[in-house]
Amino acid sequence: MRKIILILLVLVAGITSKAQYTGYTPVGDLVKFKADFAAATLRTNSIKSDFIQEKNLAMLSEKIISKGKFWFKKENQVRMEYNQPYQYLMIINKDKVFVKDGQKENKISTKSNKLFQQINKIMIDCMQGTALNNPDFKTRVFENKNASLVELTPLTRGMKELFRSINVIVDKKDFSVVTIEMQELSGDNTLIRFTNKELNATIPDALFTIK
Amino acid sequence: MLRSRMRYLLLSSCLFVLFACSAAYKQMQPATGNVNGLQKFKPAITVALYNTQVDIVGNHLSGLLLIKKMPDSSTRMLFSNEIGFKFFDFEFAPDGSFKVYSIIKQMNKKSVLKTLRKDLELVLMERLDSSNVSVHTSDGLLYYVFPQAKGYNYYITDSTGDKLVRMERASKKKTVVEAIMQNYINGIPDTIGISHKTFNFSIGLKRIER
Repeated sequence: MRKIILILLVLVAGITSKAQYTGYTPVGDLVKFKADFAAATLRTNSIKSDFIQEKNLAMLSEKIISKGKFWFKKENQVRMEYNQPYQYLMIINKDKVFVKDGQKENKISTKSNKLFQQINKIMIDCMQGTALNNPDFKTRVFENKNASLVELTPLTRGMKELFRSINVIVDKKDFSVVTIEMQELSGDNTLIRFTNKELNATIPDALFTIK
Repeated sequence: MLRSRMRYLLLSSCLFVLFACSAAYKQMQPATGNVNGLQKFKPAITVALYNTQVDIVGNHLSGLLLIKKMPDSSTRMLFSNEIGFKFFDFEFAPDGSFKVYSIIKQMNKKSVLKTLRKDLELVLMERLDSSNVSVHTSDGLLYYVFPQAKGYNYYITDSTGDKLVRMERASKKKTVVEAIMQNYINGIPDTIGISHKTFNFSIGLKRIER
């Protein structure tokens, strides 16, 4: 009986690991996809958008939804301003991170803070299109009519402890990021959806200044 | 921005009050009180989200604490940062047991877990055993004393029992932790503050309307 259960578990695990995404099929020509992605991101120097972040807590059947504004500018500059239902500001500028919560301000060097180093890398990699070449992840790509789904499965120990996978959905028109979904080991996930995107808008450098 | 500053000042002043308080265990005299009256201060949370500030020995951490009463009557507390990264997920069961669903490696230490468990149990007020309580008075306040495995939990009200002045965790001799819950709205405190007296560790919670 135990053997049968074990075999069933192995089979189910096998099926699950090969599972694909509803409405998506694997991209046939991965080399072409990578080249197109790289070319498109090369043309994108800045992104300005709104975002909605949804933290889904599976076991608690709860969602924490927050909203804000997002700016990205080459090279390696990101500003995320949460304004609902709480105020929080995060600026990533190269290897420095600045956060402001309420009245407290904090400057963090990603060189000394592993968590922010990883967040920094994920965010920048997704926006600059370099996620596909990040050796810390195994990459699979799927597509449907309008979008491509890049599945990043962590290979390094630190990342494996944080995420099961990170799925990035990009718009096929301009390869801009539509959503970033971070799947945790517990079954919880965080989904960041970007809306009202403006590519190559003029964004002042001052937005990314860390004093 | 002004609103956020006001909230911060309010929270800071509450934490200041905590630091300013002192234990008066030595002057306590036996008194009578209605232990059932404490139930009205127990946070009537079905689900609540709190903006959370943690200061620990010079380090500052901020995030969101979600508190949810589950169908099996247990209470879950999940603390994540603003960008969704989870720090811990705890369960407090009605029988007093405690389960850690997840905790980041940096916090996964026996002493940290023990401290957080005791601090959060103090404010959850889930286990107020009326058969094991004694009531005392000092400085015009009523002290409801609940013996713990080690030390005591104190719930301190005004003389009429209408206002929860503060809560304390104490050893036999001195206060270890002071806590407050204020500005109840529909039975849920808007502000919760927890402050340690023996080392620099404080938690400030301010409810977020969703």
